[in-house]
Amino acid sequence: MTHLSEDDIRQLTKEAINQLGAKATPAAVEKIVTDALQRVQQSRDPRTSETYSANLSAVKPAQNRIIVTAFGKNQIGILAGLTAVLAQHQCDIIDLTQKILQEFFTIMILVDISPSTESFENLKTAITSKGESLGLKVIIQHEDIFRTMHRI
Amino acid sequence: MPIALEEILQTIRMTEVEHFDIRTVTMGINLKDCCSDTVEQLKKNIYEKIMRVASEHIKSARKIESDYGISIANKRISVTPIALIADGFFKEDFVEIAQVLDRTAAELGIDFLGGFSALVQKGFSAGDLHLIQAIPDALACTRHVCSSVNVATTKAGINMNAVRMMGEIVKRTAELTAAQDAIGCAKMVVFANVPEDNPFMAGAFHGISEPDVVINVGISGPGVILRAVKEAPANLDFSALSDRIRAMAFKITRAGEFIGRQVARMQNIPFGIVDISLAPTPIPGDSVADIIKAMGLEDVGAPGTTAALALLNEAVKRGGLMASSHVGGMSGAFIPVSEDEGMIKAAEKGHITIEKLEAMSSVCSVGLDMIAIPGKTTAETIAGIIADECAIGVMNNKTTAVRIIPAPGKEVGDYVNYGGLLGSAPVMACNQLNNQVFIHRGGRFPAPVKGVNN
Repeated sequence: MTHLSEDDIRQLTKEAINQLGAKATPAAVEKIVTDALQRVQQSRDPRTSETYSANLSAVKPAQNRIIVTAFGKNQIGILAGLTAVLAQHQCDIIDLTQKILQEFFTIMILVDISPSTESFENLKTAITSKGESLGLKVIIQHEDIFRTMHRI
Repeated sequence: MPIALEEILQTIRMTEVEHFDIRTVTMGINLKDCCSDTVEQLKKNIYEKIMRVASEHIKSARKIESDYGISIANKRISVTPIALIADGFFKEDFVEIAQVLDRTAAELGIDFLGGFSALVQKGFSAGDLHLIQAIPDALACTRHVCSSVNVATTKAGINMNAVRMMGEIVKRTAELTAAQDAIGCAKMVVFANVPEDNPFMAGAFHGISEPDVVINVGISGPGVILRAVKEAPANLDFSALSDRIRAMAFKITRAGEFIGRQVARMQNIPFGIVDISLAPTPIPGDSVADIIKAMGLEDVGAPGTTAALALLNEAVKRGGLMASSHVGGMSGAFIPVSEDEGMIKAAEKGHITIEKLEAMSSVCSVGLDMIAIPGKTTAETIAGIIADECAIGVMNNKTTAVRIIPAPGKEVGDYVNYGGLLGSAPVMACNQLNNQVFIHRGGRFPAPVKGVNN
């Protein structure tokens, strides 16, 4: 990635002052220049866009894989119900484990949510409410937390 | 290697059943650039800087909580010791500054903001004295502000004038907040060897060598450790018991550091340290006292208690140090009475005394913490308790602290009750023998030989 020279930045600042005219306060100029710099840097190097973005919703963890864990009383259609919601939101199932102990059902699904256009929050709500309608307790977390705690 | 179902279930059990959470994600904010000639301008600068820097703090922390399914119990702020940035102003001005800090905390939705502090281990500047004198009024007229005063270090020795003064300040604070069970005293700590990057309240402040803004994290997980100890068979020896605690401490520290780094990354500010203190809450099962009991003691206070606490503290440190490159703050078990269900019960039954707690404080991170004593206790007696804790800290090159509550009008057997994280505590007996001459000698208590280590 090429960096902007000091001259470039000076030029940008002048431009901002000209455009603002009478409204040019140091804070306003700084804001315009910083915003412009961020946009330029983001367009040049997509990998750094997360770090520079001030928009919280745009910040996504490096790997967009989540783990869906659900527990509850076993019944017909649990797996079908949960996977249907995932498919509906273009989520890719990478791994799946389920266990049934007597009546008690536990399932863990590793899901890649990067193909999905939905936000993490919306996905979480969609999957959780489906799970609850099946009488399950559903917990959804990004995979990184498990990797951090259980792998060196 | 894929994550096994058992590992996922272990994490979920920690958060859902054993109350594992991140106790606090504290944003440290430098206020040195807020100094001004006039108190009005200084107040304006402080307000604007905190509001600007911390505007996304809570929002970021909430997002991270939701992404990773681990709750962050408190989102807090610490600032540069106010005595440093307002030196030259007077007592009344300091009270006004405390009110500004209180307003920022309220507007940001933060429960506690730390840094109404002074570092006076070797002597006072005029600002230090005015800040200390302002503490009772400042804590009485604010809700969110926390105050701390460091009166001793291993390098400088103990400032006995400050110790005497703090005895009086604790009393005065109790009197001014008498209507709320002297809650002011719960928001004030007197320290020896205070750490400058501590994220835990009431003692948090943003040290002078810290970066402009930083995120520090305090973990909490007595419940997780408790299960590991409870599941150990009675004949398991200490090496194996320590191993179990160590393994759990590793996992919770890793989670703590990870969460802290994510919150920092989101706000594009540097990550500082993880404080690996085990911090209890009044919720059943989230108790350090219960861990000590689970090791095989009838109750906290039984002979062996100090040794059990030492084992616990050491094992947690070993696991935590392996898990994170940047361990700081207090990093040792907390033994507050009112904030720990097991400690409250032990105090009610008379199984622990202040003297036993003092001994325990020589092997854990804080000291006499959240202990209610009779309201008739004199300022000199409180100063004597502070001096004793300072001596333990200074001589052993460790942090010690006193957060003690002389509840006005209350006697042994009465209660103070704050609710929430501060909990409730029975008033404990306190040795009232006369120490007037000793405390009023004043001057500086020389630093130990240990402090001269070059």
